[in-house]
Amino acid sequence: MPLRAVRSLFVGLVLSISVLFAALGAAQQAGHGDVHPPIRHVFVLTLENKNYSSIFSQDSPAPYLSRTLVAQGAMLRQYYGTGHGSLDNYIAMISGQSNNPDTSDDCGTFEDFKQTGVADDGQVVGRGCVYPSSVKTVVDQLNTAGFTWKGYMGDMGNDPARESATCGHPVLGMPDLTNEQEGESARVPEGDMYATRHNPFAYFHSIIDSPLCQKDVVNLNRLPNDLKAIATTANFNFITPNVCDDGHDAPCVDGRPGGLASIDAFLRRWVLLILASPAYKKDGLLIINFDEGGSGAIERSKDGAVITVFGESCCNQRAGPNLGTYPRVKISGVGDQKRTRRTLKFGGERTGAVLLSPFIKPGTISDVPYNHYSLLKSIEDIFGLREHLGYAGQTGLVAFGSDIF
Amino acid sequence: MIQATVLRLRICLCLAIAYCCVCCGRSDHKGSGQGRQASPLSPVAALGRQLFFDPGLSASGKLACASCHDPRFAYGPSNSRAVQLGGPSLKSQGNRAVPSLRYTLDRTPRWMHVRAYSEIEQLTETDSVPTGGFTSDGRFNTLRDQATFPLFAANEMANRNAVELAAKLAHVPYSRAFVVLFGKAIFSNPSQAVAKATEALEQFELEDRSFHPFSSRFDAWMDGKAMLTHQEMRGKRLFDDPNRGNCASCHLDNRGTDGSHPIFTDFQFEGLGVPRNPEIPANANPAFFDMGLCGPLRTDTASENKAYCGLFKTPTLRNVTSRKVFFHNGRFHSLREALRFYVQRDTNPERWYAVTRQGKVRKFDDLPSIYRDNMDVIDSPLTLHPGQMPVWNHRNIDDVIAFLRTLKDDDVVH
Repeated sequence: MPLRAVRSLFVGLVLSISVLFAALGAAQQAGHGDVHPPIRHVFVLTLENKNYSSIFSQDSPAPYLSRTLVAQGAMLRQYYGTGHGSLDNYIAMISGQSNNPDTSDDCGTFEDFKQTGVADDGQVVGRGCVYPSSVKTVVDQLNTAGFTWKGYMGDMGNDPARESATCGHPVLGMPDLTNEQEGESARVPEGDMYATRHNPFAYFHSIIDSPLCQKDVVNLNRLPNDLKAIATTANFNFITPNVCDDGHDAPCVDGRPGGLASIDAFLRRWVLLILASPAYKKDGLLIINFDEGGSGAIERSKDGAVITVFGESCCNQRAGPNLGTYPRVKISGVGDQKRTRRTLKFGGERTGAVLLSPFIKPGTISDVPYNHYSLLKSIEDIFGLREHLGYAGQTGLVAFGSDIF
Repeated sequence: MIQATVLRLRICLCLAIAYCCVCCGRSDHKGSGQGRQASPLSPVAALGRQLFFDPGLSASGKLACASCHDPRFAYGPSNSRAVQLGGPSLKSQGNRAVPSLRYTLDRTPRWMHVRAYSEIEQLTETDSVPTGGFTSDGRFNTLRDQATFPLFAANEMANRNAVELAAKLAHVPYSRAFVVLFGKAIFSNPSQAVAKATEALEQFELEDRSFHPFSSRFDAWMDGKAMLTHQEMRGKRLFDDPNRGNCASCHLDNRGTDGSHPIFTDFQFEGLGVPRNPEIPANANPAFFDMGLCGPLRTDTASENKAYCGLFKTPTLRNVTSRKVFFHNGRFHSLREALRFYVQRDTNPERWYAVTRQGKVRKFDDLPSIYRDNMDVIDSPLTLHPGQMPVWNHRNIDDVIAFLRTLKDDDVVH
């Protein structure tokens, strides 16, 4: 065989192997054999405390979400929350860090996380609320890779005595007064239903100690202007409505009904705005998810109430190093106000999620199990970020793939 | 023509005088050292000031808003009466002690009881307690609505109707201010005239700096311009300690994130179970109970929730040491006594409530027995039991009182 032929064969073989490896790499990146479409603008819109069965039932009080949007995009029927506070779920979505007793209890006091070690998958050992600057989030990854990001928080800064209008959070070491909604007053005519525990960016020193936090974690009322042009729309956008619009309350402090009805009203306005934006139309992905499910069993008696929270999870979710053993029992109150809460497992229940994108075929339905760590892994993959943070890097975890795109 | 010119001149002079009287009164309400620059009151607020101090608006001709809400006492009562005297001949009494109007009015949120959507969360996590509204039962959502009540209450200013009050307004020395501000037909519509009067009262209470001067030693301490003594600091620690006084869990005393100074209330409702006060005439009837949020003064749908019976709104503690009556029913006449009740309610209930012949303490005796379970036995120090030590001894109480004295504004007597 002439030398040229041998060289050609060798080059061809190398190229073939390269292509094979590239394909394998891409398949690995997408989690289960897929390459992501060229999405460059992601919007995560997180709602509160609803079970799959209540959101997506035939008689759902949120028909716009459960019917109109589902028909326009992809329905992830097996999407799960990862914890049973609010805060632990939000933290999982941007950092891959697992629950700890304080984040699972929504951090009534805004205290530093006291780290005692590091476990597998980059899990920091300890407890507390605000993670040290060594704990990275998707925001750090995006910054390093040259992508832009924004957090849009409903009502943040309406009452500047509660929280500032940018990067709003309690003073370190102080009680979190944003756990109580504030009704309208002469001083705060719009009231204030911002809840820090629904703003994941507030819980990382790597974010709140950076000037970027003041620039990039802003009131939701800034979103319409930012959506006007691709140049002003961040690559990654995390949207937290106030605690009425996200369905947490019912009724709300301003008299609105709250729950799924208020969720639907909010989505009718804001989803249309996002879908009409140049950035979304070009290469956008809108993810509408819920932090956790809200179901369980309640047994009432003259001696109070026994509440059983199931804590179901998917995707071989691990508890992490900080939670201890399950089931666990917490008792509060006395007499007929006595509450016995039995939490059987550490998961956040099945909620479902809806994804919309020009790259998604309307009416898509997926039964692949996903959770908040899958969400983080998917975002990291979409932007080509090399590292999977925390439990987003858990062996075998699946990112959004060809079942959706 | 000359008469008309003179009249206009008088009106202008009258408004100018009113304006000057109050021009040093407006503030930015921030509660910091920088918040004390003066800016003039609006003309409507200036009219409100005239109304606030005018006893001629009452049936007796002797009772102004300021009679009970005395600015020298932080717009609280100057005397030690559990409930004040009012009515056409100043012989009637209501059921509640007069609150201070300082600090809270511009920040009082509308009355609300938010619920979490999730029933589990309602039961176990962050379900909110009722909050806000004006008066100790939260039944008014705006200051103007609140201001309307005493103008017509039979045991207060006792105007019989809007026609009668509007007639008085039409003849006050400053009546032309109404015409200038609201049009010459204002007095031909009595309801409108009364509405504008209460709007002016509201504006005065919101704008005038005397309602939120932030001039106490505590404020100076917060601004780094004064020191608290060791005793005052000990008192603050006792006040804050969640396992002992736990006062700061309701009477918030931390700086806001914008640096604003605290106003020592969270506006939430609480069931302390203050003992029945025999000084209140209505209490002579054993079947009468003032149950706060569930009536009888409050009559809206919120009052139908029987879990609310016995709950009253948390007041501010600013200027509390200038008061001579404490709690909604004025049951106590010294701060020391009020604090002793707070820490001994559960450890020594026999000191505070009547004891039956069988030796049983009738705890929470100012409520019908079926609603006594509504009282707070969950938050420290209200979780203790007879025989246990109170969380404060008399020396601790001295320290807490010393701390509370630092909350007295520099213009308040005593």
